[in-house]
Amino acid sequence: MGDEFEPKILGFTCNWCTYAGADLAGTSRIQYPPNIRIIRVMCSGRMDPLFVIKALTNGADGVFMGGCHPGDCHYTKGNYYARRRIVALREVLKAFGLDERVRLRWISASEGPQFAEEVTKMVEDMKKLGPNPLKEETV
Amino acid sequence: MVKCVEVGDAGLNDLFKGLLSSGAVDGLVVPQKSGKSVIYTLIADPEKIKNPVPFAPSFGFNAANSLRKWLIEDKILGVVFKPCEARAVNELIKLEQINPDAILLISVDCEGTFKNEDYTANADKIGDKLTGNIEGVELRAACTMCETKLGEIGDLGIAYMGLGGTTVIALNDKGEAALSKVEGLAIEDKEIDRSSLKAEIKSAGSAGRETLKKELERVNEPLKLLEVLNDCIVCKNCRDMCPVCYCKECFFEQPLGNPHGGDLLHIADTRGDVRIPPYSLFYHLTRAYHVCVTCVSCGACEDACPKGLPLTLIYPVVAKNVQDVFEYVPGTDLEEPLPLTTYEEDELEPR
Ligand code: SF4
Ligand code: SF4
Repeated sequence: MGDEFEPKILGFTCNWCTYAGADLAGTSRIQYPPNIRIIRVMCSGRMDPLFVIKALTNGADGVFMGGCHPGDCHYTKGNYYARRRIVALREVLKAFGLDERVRLRWISASEGPQFAEEVTKMVEDMKKLGPNPLKEETV
Repeated sequence: MVKCVEVGDAGLNDLFKGLLSSGAVDGLVVPQKSGKSVIYTLIADPEKIKNPVPFAPSFGFNAANSLRKWLIEDKILGVVFKPCEARAVNELIKLEQINPDAILLISVDCEGTFKNEDYTANADKIGDKLTGNIEGVELRAACTMCETKLGEIGDLGIAYMGLGGTTVIALNDKGEAALSKVEGLAIEDKEIDRSSLKAEIKSAGSAGRETLKKELERVNEPLKLLEVLNDCIVCKNCRDMCPVCYCKECFFEQPLGNPHGGDLLHIADTRGDVRIPPYSLFYHLTRAYHVCVTCVSCGACEDACPKGLPLTLIYPVVAKNVQDVFEYVPGTDLEEPLPLTTYEEDELEPR
């Protein structure tokens, strides 16, 4: 088992919903794979696609983004803008075979189990996809 | 019914002079012939209009690029642009980089263009107006996917495709007002219907786009893209010549995006190695995202690349895919908000 590929996933979670959801998963002692490194941002609308691109070109195997459900954004519309940006970004990345490494999910502060589930799912998917080929390259 | 004047090619000289001398515009940007080449000129004195060639199929850069930050208040600049240039002007207006009141936007029919150096080398064969294939000279890749070849963008259009003679068409009230200032023009009301021509152009453009999409498949994996970028020297000329890549302070000029000295060594330390100049892949992916909704598919980036990289694939072909998602054709409708500045509550699910 020691040789199995363990993806490194960078997580961006919004302060008000998904970060709190991740926190709840932790305090509820729900198990999920330790492959994700979380960076808290104030809003999903703060997630500049530049962050995602930088992570991918630096060899991250996946980038997970979480925000409040539509209609629940603490700043009322940050997640709507985020949705458009990430859809556009994924369409760009698709041309170069990188889109599947990026996802945006809606997870509220009370959805600890859902957070654990989404992370588990993403780790499984990235294992199937294999390592980001850019990791070993000189970029 | 539209307000228009059939001036013929011979009447264009007088039209441009008239726009200036009547005060409809304070300056006019118009392509003119210089030797065998086409150059863009900004003219203030009507007598300096000598050899305008608005239809000459030569493309060196997207002239809207020179209008970035055109925020003058009290003067009006007329610009005689190809449709892709006129569309870039409209995008820049939406991005608040051009004051729309300071511009009279005139677009011309364009059947496609050659690289300016190809045009200059074959000027005698090509002439001032394209009338079919020119043997041995290839159209620019971006032109093969163009779906907006008609001079129907902006305030005035100068049209000839599908018409008896070259005709100036008022596309809105502003255009009509400008036209009526020019002395000696017999403005008439006419029915001009080019819808079937438009449909033809659209389907030819989308066929061209399909061909380019197939070509794009050669970079459909990260390592393949990286390989194509091996020749990139990160000069960022593709950014500088892009009309819609307008940020005053580009990330890739900041210490974080353009690391030097110790910063660079630090990156090498963290990763084990780094290319120099750094960040070609990071730069291109970021730029591809940045222009994805506003890219007018002019191909100026490819022309600007000193290394001959296939940037028409990486920029307009990719951007078009994004624009399809939002059903957005940049630069055609001033009222329509930029897709990333707006949203609908109920859309794009699941992502
Ligand atoms: S990215 Fe290239 S094709 Fe698109 S607008 Fe800029 S220069 Fe033109
Ligand atoms: S113009 Fe060409 S060489 Fe310069 S940064 Fe762009 S792709 Fe690279």
